[in-house]
Amino acid sequence: MLRPLLIASIELKRYSSDKAEMAFSIALPIVMFALMYGAFGGEPSVSVTAHVVNLDDGPVSEDLLQRLESVDGVTVALYDSTEADSALDRSAILTAFVIPEGFSRDLRDGKPTRITVKRRGHGGDEGQVAAAIVSGVAQEVTGGLMVRGMVLSALGDGSDAGRIDEAVASLGGEPAVVVRERAGEESADPTVAIMAAVMTMFMMFAVSLNAQSLVAERANGTLERLMTSRLTANQLFVGKFLASSLRGAVQALVLLLLGFVAMRIAGPGELVQALAYAVLFGAAVSAVGLVIAGLARTRDQAIWSAVFLTMLMTTFSGTFVPFESGPMEVISRFTLNRHAFEALRDILAGSGGIADQGLGVAVLGAVVVLGLGAARAVFRTY
Amino acid sequence: MTSDRDFLTAKNLSKSFGGVQAVNDVSFTIAEQEIFGLLGPNGAGKTTTIRMLATVLDPDAGEIEIGSYLVRGQPSRVRDIIGVCPQELALYEELSATDNLVFFGRMSGLGRREAKEAARGNLELVGLAERASDAVRKFSGGMKRRVNIAVALMSRPKLLFLDEPTVGIDPQSRNHIFDTVLRLRDEGMTVLYTTHYMEEADRLCDRIGIIDGGRMIALGTPSELKASIGKGGDVTLEEVFLSLTGRSLRD
Repeated sequence: MLRPLLIASIELKRYSSDKAEMAFSIALPIVMFALMYGAFGGEPSVSVTAHVVNLDDGPVSEDLLQRLESVDGVTVALYDSTEADSALDRSAILTAFVIPEGFSRDLRDGKPTRITVKRRGHGGDEGQVAAAIVSGVAQEVTGGLMVRGMVLSALGDGSDAGRIDEAVASLGGEPAVVVRERAGEESADPTVAIMAAVMTMFMMFAVSLNAQSLVAERANGTLERLMTSRLTANQLFVGKFLASSLRGAVQALVLLLLGFVAMRIAGPGELVQALAYAVLFGAAVSAVGLVIAGLARTRDQAIWSAVFLTMLMTTFSGTFVPFESGPMEVISRFTLNRHAFEALRDILAGSGGIADQGLGVAVLGAVVVLGLGAARAVFRTY
Repeated sequence: MTSDRDFLTAKNLSKSFGGVQAVNDVSFTIAEQEIFGLLGPNGAGKTTTIRMLATVLDPDAGEIEIGSYLVRGQPSRVRDIIGVCPQELALYEELSATDNLVFFGRMSGLGRREAKEAARGNLELVGLAERASDAVRKFSGGMKRRVNIAVALMSRPKLLFLDEPTVGIDPQSRNHIFDTVLRLRDEGMTVLYTTHYMEEADRLCDRIGIIDGGRMIALGTPSELKASIGKGGDVTLEEVFLSLTGRSLRD
């Protein structure tokens, strides 16, 4: 067992001394994750600023502003009248919402009132979106007050105002129709899906690294030298396999720690399970890489075969563009990426542990065993 | 200096690749503590012969015995007593000279401490002790060749195969390699040295086998080979080769 470990350790030493390869395998996945997170993850679909002049300062207008702030993607900026007019004149802002003096009092008394929208031109796209949101929130806030006022007015002075308030408040719960965004299947958090996708894609590159490793040894004569030492071909294979699997594990660990520390995407339990699954996936792709290494006669053959296989698996796995049904969905089930992506996503999202990934674990385990056997069978020292 | 006892015996070796006969019925012996030169142009079959002797390739026909072990039946025993310096610079260039030597030493069965001591000694032998910690990629071609030989010595072999160890290097490194080979022979090592440089073979080798087109066409000491063409005077091995094959070695 010592010689395979020595092979693995020298491989990792060579890997760590090659800055370009280090950058490729560790830094690039982080950059890719950051880019994809910036492009698709975390940000709400709407991002607008509501420029508000509040001349009222009563409880209802305060409530309205708080509710506006709580809407995902909406920021409230407060102005006085002069500032707002000046900003509109300069086109610094294109829309301002003016809450009139006595707004709260009038609503409490059941009298109609209005929020004025001042526009520069047509108010800009952002202003129109903000106007729709302000209108919706204002209706929500004022609806209850209007109902209360109307009931009080109909019943006269002897009615129980406290009980009416309670009844109106109870109507302000969950509306009958709720619009909710959903990304993909059960995972609403795109960060987790991006993390799983980037991990599987970059770990797939282990195929090409492993494929060219043995071919390069054959080309530069170190394989011949190793084969005239006490090392057996089986020990060589186990060593290469260990080195490649460890490299994959390091990649996975770095990405998972990044997600855990910077984004709190999962708890420690999920993290450990995801790492265990990633190690298995790394072992499976390493075995596939060794099959290519056994078949390829030149470095170019090894690299291009590995690149082709990696692209094929990434494309047909549906990792980035999920296939919901049809033949593509069936094909995607034969790719290693799909098993790994779905399992990692579910584990990180907390919707399933590694124990729930029986099929994926079985497939990846079978690929490890069959891949190593096939690679050894086709391997020639010369 | 050379012992009468044969350390290596190769009988009727043949090897072909896809219908091309690379080695054809080659036989020779190498005595203990002898420097045996295998001389021939590129593609003559020298490297294929070495690969069969070094257990890397199985011969299609023939037998090899090294130090009383049969290559076909006891390859791991043979590997314990041979050292191979391939024609390529079989080194990990991103690692230091010491790291390369220690790694290959450990692959040959040395313990960590033993491997480090042997690495220090071998780098001293090839004149690179001061560059031990430098990455091999920073070395000149000649220095890399010397590290290549130092690695082959890590297993403390009784028989050393040197496959064209002086290709493309400067005269200083070449002379250093010559001195090293002679010193190793004097310390008791047996050496098989392949080259296509006639003057090298003339200067170093106790006996020479000339190989061409996969066949051994002449075998003897440099003096015997020169005498065999019957010209007398200052005959060179180049002329011997020309006389035997009808063409120059560099053709």
